[in-house]
Amino acid sequence: MGATALSTALFLSGESTARDGYSLEVAEIATMTQTESQTDDAAEGQELFEASCSTCHGVDGQGTDNGPSLEEVGEASADFQLRTGRMPLANSGQAVRKDPAFTDERIVALVEYVGSFGDGPGIPEVDLADASLVEGQALFIENCAACHGATGAGGAVGNEALAPSLWAASEVEIAEAMITGPGQMPPFDFTDAQVNDLVNFVVYLREEPRPGGADIGGIGPVPEGFVAWLVGLGSLLLISRLIGSKRQDEPEDAA
Amino acid sequence: MRPVRWIYTSFVISMLGSLGLVVYYLVGESAQVEGILLGLALGGMGAGVIGWATRLMDVPTVVEEHESLESGDSAVAQTENMVGQDAVTRRTMLLRLATGASATLGAALAIPALSLGPRPGQSLEETKWTPGARIVDRFGNPQRPDDIPLDGIKTVFPSGFEGEADSQTVVIKIEPELLDLPEGREEWAPDGCVAFSKICTHAGCPVGLYRAEAKQLLCPCHQSTFDVTTGCTPVFGPAARPLPQLPMEVDEAGYLVALSDFQEPVGPSFWNMETE
Repeated sequence: MGATALSTALFLSGESTARDGYSLEVAEIATMTQTESQTDDAAEGQELFEASCSTCHGVDGQGTDNGPSLEEVGEASADFQLRTGRMPLANSGQAVRKDPAFTDERIVALVEYVGSFGDGPGIPEVDLADASLVEGQALFIENCAACHGATGAGGAVGNEALAPSLWAASEVEIAEAMITGPGQMPPFDFTDAQVNDLVNFVVYLREEPRPGGADIGGIGPVPEGFVAWLVGLGSLLLISRLIGSKRQDEPEDAA
Repeated sequence: MRPVRWIYTSFVISMLGSLGLVVYYLVGESAQVEGILLGLALGGMGAGVIGWATRLMDVPTVVEEHESLESGDSAVAQTENMVGQDAVTRRTMLLRLATGASATLGAALAIPALSLGPRPGQSLEETKWTPGARIVDRFGNPQRPDDIPLDGIKTVFPSGFEGEADSQTVVIKIEPELLDLPEGREEWAPDGCVAFSKICTHAGCPVGLYRAEAKQLLCPCHQSTFDVTTGCTPVFGPAARPLPQLPMEVDEAGYLVALSDFQEPVGPSFWNMETE
């Protein structure tokens, strides 16, 4: 309150130099009064970033020839890439899901540090309490199924790129991917309600009962047809041969 | 094992399957287990009956004696005498049948010609896009350039024709400086938003797979790949011509609208299509 009044007074008096000095002081005070854990987090995040990320993304996340700028990607992107193990990137080529390289606390610290670079999207909150399965399915068919398949099993998208299976992703990871568009995936501008509907439908795809029995990977009619022709028709052929065969064990009884 | 033993076993398996089905039907839920139990009940019964018939029953081969069925000499002579004058030679008969078969085949091939009409007229050249048509998503929501995130893709339709197959279009937003559109289309990309027919020019599949880093659209059917930055020119696969681009601008209210219909036919090329 007093600070605002003082600031306003200084501004009105036109003493810009004095005002700048004052602002700096406020910033310093603010830094000093941060809780100790936050300061530790920020310091730890910066330390981890410089050790593990800066080679490709630059010391301040500005990007290099080897990696894109992280200035506007936001916490959502950092959280997705680190929790799904896609970053740090082990080999060249498409980043794929693997075990995360960092502990949970370190991921939190890194995500917070990357988020401080710019004003990218934060980690989305997913709430499936009022989410609609019907809307989710309509959105999924229109926006996701082309690449990830009608069952979410994933598929090839050409030129060695792969749309991964959605079954391994957590609810928050699914939402983060939609918002940020990792890798070759385009980002989507869904409302919070649409994000919830879509996540709800992807969870349903993963957990829905399979009334037809084994789904053989859920990747479509080729493996299903293979099993139907080979196992189904093959066993019918064997059985009909068995039924039609004459007994040959005791031929002398026939007379 | 002697045949009779496994035939007994088959019937016992059938009984156990039936009893199991009754019990499981009352307490269980899985349709697969019910199917397996029903399969055992019917299969055991079938195996038992077939084994009984083919392995146990003694069915000797019996031949019944009877007189010769051949016509006697007098009967043959009488028939020859009766049909002698008008006898159709084998050669004549074959010729007649061959002619008949050819005529019937000709008629059968001519009938499908009825399916050739009516002529398609302008229907292959036109879609539902008209000058000033608002660009809306599947649910009818009009789209501003800001509604599409950078590197994002959205399937859109002309307002009032949501879901219309031949008018489906994708809008993609790209950094404007990356665009290298053909001459005369510079104004068709407000805020870096470009719109292309979603129907592949090869076989008509929906080109819905967008690789955002490569700025390439991929058709899932035959992997035709289109470079969006140069106006969706084909760079890989069987498609021979670019995806038609929809001329587009922003109206006073800030929404994306079509300037006109596509300026070339959408979808697969056809034999009398006019090309540049």
